Amino acid sequence: MAEDLVLDTAIRDWVLIPLSIVMVLIGVLRYFVSKLMRSTQVPDGKIVKEGQVIVRARNLRAAANFIPAKSFRARRAYFSNEENGLLHVPKGQAQNPQAQMFSDPNMAMDMMKKNLSMIIPQTLTFAWVNFFFSGFVAAKIPFPLTQRFRSMLQNGIDLSTVDVSYVSSRSWYFLNLFGLRGLFSLILGEDNATDDAQRMMQMSGFGFDPTKNLGAEKDGLDIVQHEWALPKFEQRAEAVLRKLVS
Amino acid sequence: MAVGHGDSSSSDKKSTDALSDLQTFNAENLQSNMKVIYYSRTFLSIIGGVIAGILGFKGLIGFVFYFLVMAVTSAALTAKAKFSIHSYFDTWNRVLLDGFFGGLMSFVLFWTFAYDIVHIF
Repeated sequence: MAEDLVLDTAIRDWVLIPLSIVMVLIGVLRYFVSKLMRSTQVPDGKIVKEGQVIVRARNLRAAANFIPAKSFRARRAYFSNEENGLLHVPKGQAQNPQAQMFSDPNMAMDMMKKNLSMIIPQTLTFAWVNFFFSGFVAAKIPFPLTQRFRSMLQNGIDLSTVDVSYVSSRSWYFLNLFGLRGLFSLILGEDNATDDAQRMMQMSGFGFDPTKNLGAEKDGLDIVQHEWALPKFEQRAEAVLRKLVS
Repeated sequence: MAVGHGDSSSSDKKSTDALSDLQTFNAENLQSNMKVIYYSRTFLSIIGGVIAGILGFKGLIGFVFYFLVMAVTSAALTAKAKFSIHSYFDTWNRVLLDGFFGGLMSFVLFWTFAYDIVHIF
């Protein structure tokens, strides 16, 4: 088992560095393309209004303990009153926004476009790597791994006596895929969602917001136990002011 | 480069006194501070990876070096917050543990890269 293989410097110049540069550039390109394609989305007035009502109700729930009991109850009645409370949605109407959301062609197309713009560059790059850069040792990872990883990391190399640290370019591709996420978040500003799972969560959260959440907010408000946390704040303010003055 | 690496812009948050044991936090500032932590850790794990590769760390020592870098990041953040953690973050755990393993992949990537370029070139 050769301990220290000497690898051709041409591999460095023509495999490692170009692959990394290509992946960085593709990531940047994808970011800009997704920004350009997102420009056509006119928000529906009704949905925005409902979203704002939910935000108000949430604020009330979060800060309930800072206002006296009577004011809190008055505000709560305004929201959850059976007749004309803002959060009370009659049964018939509750279905409509949801159906509209699903059959709305724009939203479905948007999601599909985003998915595709994610998957296609990855697939293409992977195919390119496999086609051009297979069959030789590309890099040496500085830490040892067990024999089990051999088949995963050394895919094009058919010698079984080579140390597992010497990997093929496919594993360099995967290493880049995961490692460049941090770099992207630094150079591209806010997190540009190179992570599939994260973006799925964002999309689904936004789509179903107005329909079920009204009922949920109403229930949440009803549950809140009010406990006024500032009962003696006049005395406290007086004490503080006295300390300041004296 | 990073928003707040080095001269970080941790801004202050409101928190009421200890009388009623309430803690109110300005959510935007809290989030901005979390972002500062994230950016610092990412940046330092990349730099740490390059350093580890150049110095030729192999195997376990490299990972120990990564944890060392993360610990230094935590210490630096604490010092920047003037040791009064509670006026900038809600719990102590945020500064110490948040994003600890997030930078690991970037570290390994740049460690491998630098190690190969310097030692097997």
